Amino acid sequence: MPLDITLFGIQMPTLLPIFVIAAVVQILIDRIMSDAGIYNHVWHPGLFRTAIFVCIFAIPSLLIYN
Amino acid sequence: MQSDKAILLNLTLPLYLKRVALEWLALDAPTLIYMAKATFAGLFALIISMVLNLPDPRTAIFTTFIVMQPQSGLVFSKSYYRVIGTTVGVGISLLMMGMFAQDQAWFITFFALWIGIMTAAGVKYRNFQSYGFVLAGYTLCIVALPVIEMPLEIFDIAVSRFSEVLVGIMSATIISDVVFPRKLSDSLLSSERERFANLVATLADEKSIFEIQEDAHAHMTRFSGGVVGLHAIRINSSFESGADRKNRQHSQSLNQEYMNLSTTFHSLKNVIIAIEPRTPPEVLEKLAKLYRPIGSVLKSCPMTPLGVDDISCMVDQLLSVKKDVDTFFVHEQNSLKSILDSDSYDAFISAANLIVRLLNELYIYCVTYLSFVKHRISGKSSKDLSRVVRFSTHTDNVLVALAALRGSGVLLVSMMFWIFSGWPYATLTVTLAVVIGLLIGTLPSPLDAVKNFFKGGVSAVIVAAVYDFYIIPEYTTDMWTLSLVIAPVLAIVAWLTTQPKWSGFSLGFIFLFMYQCSLDPYYKVDPTVFMESTLAYLIGIIFAGTAYLLVNFWSCSLTQRRVAKILRRQIVSLSKGAITVQRSSLESMGRDLVQQFSTHGRLNMRSSRLVFEWLLSTLELGRAIIAVRRNMKKLGGSYGFIHINRSVYVIKNYFENPSEAKLEVLLVTLRETLEILEDYEKTVEKVYRKRVHAIIGELALIRTIMLTKSSLPIVMEDSCP
Repeated sequence: MPLDITLFGIQMPTLLPIFVIAAVVQILIDRIMSDAGIYNHVWHPGLFRTAIFVCIFAIPSLLIYN
Repeated sequence: MQSDKAILLNLTLPLYLKRVALEWLALDAPTLIYMAKATFAGLFALIISMVLNLPDPRTAIFTTFIVMQPQSGLVFSKSYYRVIGTTVGVGISLLMMGMFAQDQAWFITFFALWIGIMTAAGVKYRNFQSYGFVLAGYTLCIVALPVIEMPLEIFDIAVSRFSEVLVGIMSATIISDVVFPRKLSDSLLSSERERFANLVATLADEKSIFEIQEDAHAHMTRFSGGVVGLHAIRINSSFESGADRKNRQHSQSLNQEYMNLSTTFHSLKNVIIAIEPRTPPEVLEKLAKLYRPIGSVLKSCPMTPLGVDDISCMVDQLLSVKKDVDTFFVHEQNSLKSILDSDSYDAFISAANLIVRLLNELYIYCVTYLSFVKHRISGKSSKDLSRVVRFSTHTDNVLVALAALRGSGVLLVSMMFWIFSGWPYATLTVTLAVVIGLLIGTLPSPLDAVKNFFKGGVSAVIVAAVYDFYIIPEYTTDMWTLSLVIAPVLAIVAWLTTQPKWSGFSLGFIFLFMYQCSLDPYYKVDPTVFMESTLAYLIGIIFAGTAYLLVNFWSCSLTQRRVAKILRRQIVSLSKGAITVQRSSLESMGRDLVQQFSTHGRLNMRSSRLVFEWLLSTLELGRAIIAVRRNMKKLGGSYGFIHINRSVYVIKNYFENPSEAKLEVLLVTLRETLEILEDYEKTVEKVYRKRVHAIIGELALIRTIMLTKSSLPIVMEDSCP
């Protein structure tokens, strides 16, 4: 994957679209997990959620930078 | 003796210390934690934007302070709308710079139009939604105005402002969710609990209904505020993950049922206050007797936080009491009919119907509450809630139009100031004037808020000057020392934002401190620039304040007239429009309306009490009219039809254009209809009897309310000083 991509004629770092996609994925996962009641069994839901987001965002980012 | 005392002291001292510690934990610790969180989030944003080499870190730190709230749900919700507002604002800035950068007149026209629309939308929408519109307007100022001379730089500035806002929001949300999070849904649970306990305590006491207290009215406005406020908490808590769908539905239904219940309670109280002087004492005695079993059920429950078993026991008891009350009502109705005159009989019927309804609604509320508590404890609810309840709001178009006028007006005047003075710093004046017009328009008593904003701004400039010219050049070498140095100010600002009475001041302080303090990637402070921009900002505040002073002709009596007119119009539309109107939407709308007018329209104590009485009678009349019309439709074209129809028409006629003569006609017509229907009830087939009976009850209630002229939404005398 390239470090920069061009979307609609605007050049931007690939991290930006990845961030947006990661945010959308995170929102979906969050909905599912809260409706399934998973957060009731987690010690610190906020930390858990942040950690999940970091994973979702970091995995593709690391792939790009390797 | 001495030793006794010593022992006593020894015993009580740890207890006392424990109590002090608990109190500190409950009251002061959250504030301290919040201060730490806000400071930390602000510094986090500052450091990240400096590391990422963003040109204007102050936007990031400013954003954190604006979206930071003690509860996580509020932060999420505010951030969400801030992102949307900023995105739209950036888009519009690009569009406008692309289209009108060369043409002054068009640029200003569209700018004014946009600001006007955004101000209006900010007033029209509730909660943080309005904040999104404020931001869409504000972003245009900070993105488009600084580059108006060099339109090609718009892309750079748009991208960097947007990134800074995002950095600020990210740090605010992450910090508030990870470090000592405070859940909004927990506070929702505790306020739901408190509300239930209050309700039980109030209804258990027979005196609260049947004895007329002087301060009774003081509680009334609080009731409607509570409903609207809890609705807001619920909306914002939906941004938190813990609140799943079931939970949301529960609190939605609870809110609606509580709203119905409290309306019935207040109507009953109003009716009792109204009929007390004009009926023989046995009416009230019988009513009290009718109510007694309900009170005793509630009294038998423990007052402390109720467990699941207590509530379910209460629900069962209420169900059994329901039958008793119904039979007693029918029995008394027959025995009283021969003794009482028609007015007192009507009064008895309407009050007794209200008591029965109160009981029904109390039962429903308790069942939902039981299910809610069960769901919170074990995740299993006992009631199926499939119906989605909508919370309707009412916004007065005149209020919105005034806000739009003010927003655009401020922009045009400050633009003119810029053009005629040719002062390069006047863009700052425009920005701040517009921001205040947008931001403070949604607060109650805006003029005071602007004054406090000015005071806060002046203090911020002084502090910023000390920092810019002494502390920062003297003690900072890199971003870490800079963070260390500004941390105390941020903490104080965070504390200020937690104090409601300092809200205008803290807003002004944040704005001016963030913009005047040298929070740039490298130190660049010039005394001339500092002074000129300070002057520009202060002029902007004065412009905005003047606008609030000029475009604010809401007086107390004008507000009263306006509310009365809207309420009357509502009754009229209910008596001729669609009959599918739901009671919940009627009620939430009415409450929202009164809430809005009491914040924007300067009502004093006495007149807001009056307005609340109007609201109650309007809700009751509207509900009764709809009920009558529904039953009438079911009856079809039978015998009583013409008379009932005529009564509804006369009611409509009266509220379209009220006069004494029309009221007389209305009362006479209602009396005639009631007599005809009462005769008719004896002869009608059994299928229809229940409906005719219901209509009689509703019409009697309407007549009883109409007999109390002061509670009708008609401005009789000026209750404004």
